[in-house]
Amino acid sequence: MTDREMANLQNDARAEILQSIRTRLAESAVLNARRSPTLPLAATVPFVSDERSLVETFKQQLESVGGHCIVVSDESELTTALKHVVGEIEANGLETRRVALSDSPLLGVISRDLEAQGHEIAVTPSASDLFQFDVGITSAQAAIAETGTLVLEQARERNRLVSLLPPVHIAIVNAGDICATMSEAITRARKESDTSSAITFITGPSRTADIELTLTIGVHGPKELYVIVYRTNH
Amino acid sequence: MTQLSSETFDANARAALNDAQLRGALRNATSLFGKRRLEAARSLENWEELRTQARAIKDETLLHLDRYLEEFTANAEKAGVQIHWARDAAEANGIICRLARERGARLAVKAKSMATEEIHLNAALEANGIEAIETDLGEYIIQLAHETPSHIIAPAIHKTRGQIAELFTEKLGIEKTDDIAQLTITARQVLRDKFAAADLGISGVNFAVAETGTILILENEGNIRFTTSLPKTHVALMGIEKVIPRFADLEVFLKLLPRSGTGQHLTAYQSLITGTKRNADDEGPDELHIILLDNGRSRMLTHPTTRQALACIRCGACLNACPVYQQIGGHAYGSVYPGPIGAVITPQLFGLSKAAQLPFASSLCGACREVCPVKIDIPELLLHLRAEIKETSKVRDQRSEPVRPNRAEQVAFRLWAAVMARPRLYELSGKVFRFLQRSAARDGAIRRVNGLLGRLAPPLAAWTGTRDLRPIEPETFREYWRRAAHD
Repeated sequence: MTDREMANLQNDARAEILQSIRTRLAESAVLNARRSPTLPLAATVPFVSDERSLVETFKQQLESVGGHCIVVSDESELTTALKHVVGEIEANGLETRRVALSDSPLLGVISRDLEAQGHEIAVTPSASDLFQFDVGITSAQAAIAETGTLVLEQARERNRLVSLLPPVHIAIVNAGDICATMSEAITRARKESDTSSAITFITGPSRTADIELTLTIGVHGPKELYVIVYRTNH
Repeated sequence: MTQLSSETFDANARAALNDAQLRGALRNATSLFGKRRLEAARSLENWEELRTQARAIKDETLLHLDRYLEEFTANAEKAGVQIHWARDAAEANGIICRLARERGARLAVKAKSMATEEIHLNAALEANGIEAIETDLGEYIIQLAHETPSHIIAPAIHKTRGQIAELFTEKLGIEKTDDIAQLTITARQVLRDKFAAADLGISGVNFAVAETGTILILENEGNIRFTTSLPKTHVALMGIEKVIPRFADLEVFLKLLPRSGTGQHLTAYQSLITGTKRNADDEGPDELHIILLDNGRSRMLTHPTTRQALACIRCGACLNACPVYQQIGGHAYGSVYPGPIGAVITPQLFGLSKAAQLPFASSLCGACREVCPVKIDIPELLLHLRAEIKETSKVRDQRSEPVRPNRAEQVAFRLWAAVMARPRLYELSGKVFRFLQRSAARDGAIRRVNGLLGRLAPPLAAWTGTRDLRPIEPETFREYWRRAAHD
C-alpha cells in the first residue's frame, strides 16, 4: 500500500467513525433531550494545610503502603539521612555498591559524599547500564499528603529511568512541595503537562498480587522506596 | 486450551461448576476484592457524590463524543502524537503491524490492555513475525500457558502457585519452587531482558484528556512504566469511549477506579503521558502512536440505555459482586469481557447472535449496579438486550444473525400473558391448579406429581431439578379480601 492510499484510508476511517457517532447520537436525540447535561467538578474534601501535619500525613500514608519516610529539619542534614538510609538498605541484605543519580542539582553534595564512602556513582547512566545499578536517587517535584504519593515531572529532571530500574529508589522531597490533596496535585500537573511529556505518580514500591492474591513487593519496579523529606529554613 | 466461545456459555458454565479448584480460587478472589472495595469506598465521605460526578462526566462526554475526540486528537497531535483511527479490530491490527514492520521491530513488550485482548493483537503480531510479550505478571503467566484472562484485574486467579511453578519450570527452566516471591523474581528477571531488547512498547489507555491530549495509565507493577519509557516507539490502543473532557476530571476517576478494582486508595503508579519528549536527549520513546478504536462502540450510542456501557472504566467490581461470576469465573463467558459488564458489552460489540446466552446469565439481583463506580444500570441493560435478542427474529441488524426463536417459550409466554390479562380466567386457573395439587402438596412443597416425586417433565425439569415446586396457597388474596369484606 502506498503512503497516499494509507492516508486516504485513515481519512476515511476518521470521517466514518465521527459520522457514525453523530448519526447514532442524532438517533437518540429525543431521548437525550430529557436530561440536562451538567458537568460538575470534583468536590474536594478540605484539608488542613499546616505544613507540619502535611509532612506527617504524607509519612503515615507512604508507610501504610510499604514505603519508608525520613524527615529532616533542613537541607544540610540530607547527607546524614542518606547515610542512615544506605545503612538500613544494607541491613536488609540489599546491595548499595552502584548508585545512579538523576541530574537534580540537589544531589551534587550527596554524590560527592557517597563517592567518598566508596560507592560507585553515575549520573543518569544509559538505560542498558542502569539495569546493573543497585540504587537510584532522584528528587521529586511534588508529593501528595493524602495518598503518600510522589510526583515526578519529566521536564524538571531526568528521573524517569533512575526511579524505575534499580531495585531501590530513594527520593528527596522539599516539605514545601507537599500538596495536601490529589486535587492540588492534579491542578499542578495540568500546568506541567504543557512542558512535561511524562508525569509519574509513585505511591510505594512496585507490587503485585497476581499469584494466589498474595501481595508480593518488587515485581518490575523498585522493591524498596525511601523518601527523605527536608524542610527549608524560611 | 481451546478458545471458549460465548455461544457455548451454558456448557462452559457447567464445566466451570464442576471445577472445584476454580471455584475455590473464585471464592477467595471475589470475596477478598469485594471486602477491600467496601472498606476503600467507606474511607471516603463523598463516595456517592463521586459516583454521580463520574457518571455525569461520562454522560457529558458520550453525548458530545465527536467533539471531545476531535479536541483530544488535536491536542495530542500538537504535543507530537501520531493519531490513527480504526473502525474495527482488523484495521487496528493492521495499523499496529504496519508500524512494527516499518520500524523493523522483532520484539514488542505489552502492558496489560483489554482493548488489545479484544482485537487479538498478539495473534496478529505473531502472524507478522513479531514476538509480543505480555509483561503484567498475571498476563505473562497466562500467555506462557496459552490461556486467556479469567478476571479483568487478576487475569491468572484461576491458577495455583503449584501450576505456575510447573509452568515456569517447563517454559523458563527454573528449579521447581512453591515460593511466590521466587516465582515473581523469576518473572522480573526474564522480563527485564525483554524490556531491554524490545523495539516496541504497546499499552492501553485508562483515560484520555481532551483539553490537553494527555493519556493516563494506572498500574501496580511498574511494567507499564517500562513499556512506555524504554522502547523507541510507544503504541497506545484506546477505545473511543476513553476520552474525558478536562484534566481536573482525572481526580474523580483516580479516587474511584483503584478503590473499586483492588480496594487500594491509589495504585502504585500512574503515568500521565502528554505527547512525545520535547528535547531529543530527554528520556522516553521517540514516537507515540495513539490508535482510536471503534469496533462497535459508536453503535452503542444509539440509545441512552445501551450507551451506559460505554461509561465503564474496567474496574472489575461488578465481577466480584456477581453471584453468577462468583460461581463460574471469567472463562465461561467466552469473551475478553466477562461478568455482568461482559454480558452487556460482548453482545453489543460482537453481535447479539454471538453471545445471545450472556444477557440471560444473570439473576438480575442488582449487586453489579450497587458497586459500579459509574452507576451503570446493568440489570436495565440486561433486560434491554434480552428484549432485543427476542426481537432479532424480526429485526436484522448488520452484524447479528437472527437468533432462532424458541417456539415453546413463545407459546408459554403468550398463554401466560393471556391468563394474566383476564382476571376471571386467572382466578379459574388458580382453582384448577389447586384442585390438581390437592394430594401432592405437603409442608409447603409439592411432593408428588403423577407418581414422580415432585419432578416435572423436561423442559420444566430444569426448574425442579434443584428446587421444590411451591404449591398454590389454599386461599388467594382475592378470596381473603372478599371474605374479610363480608365479615
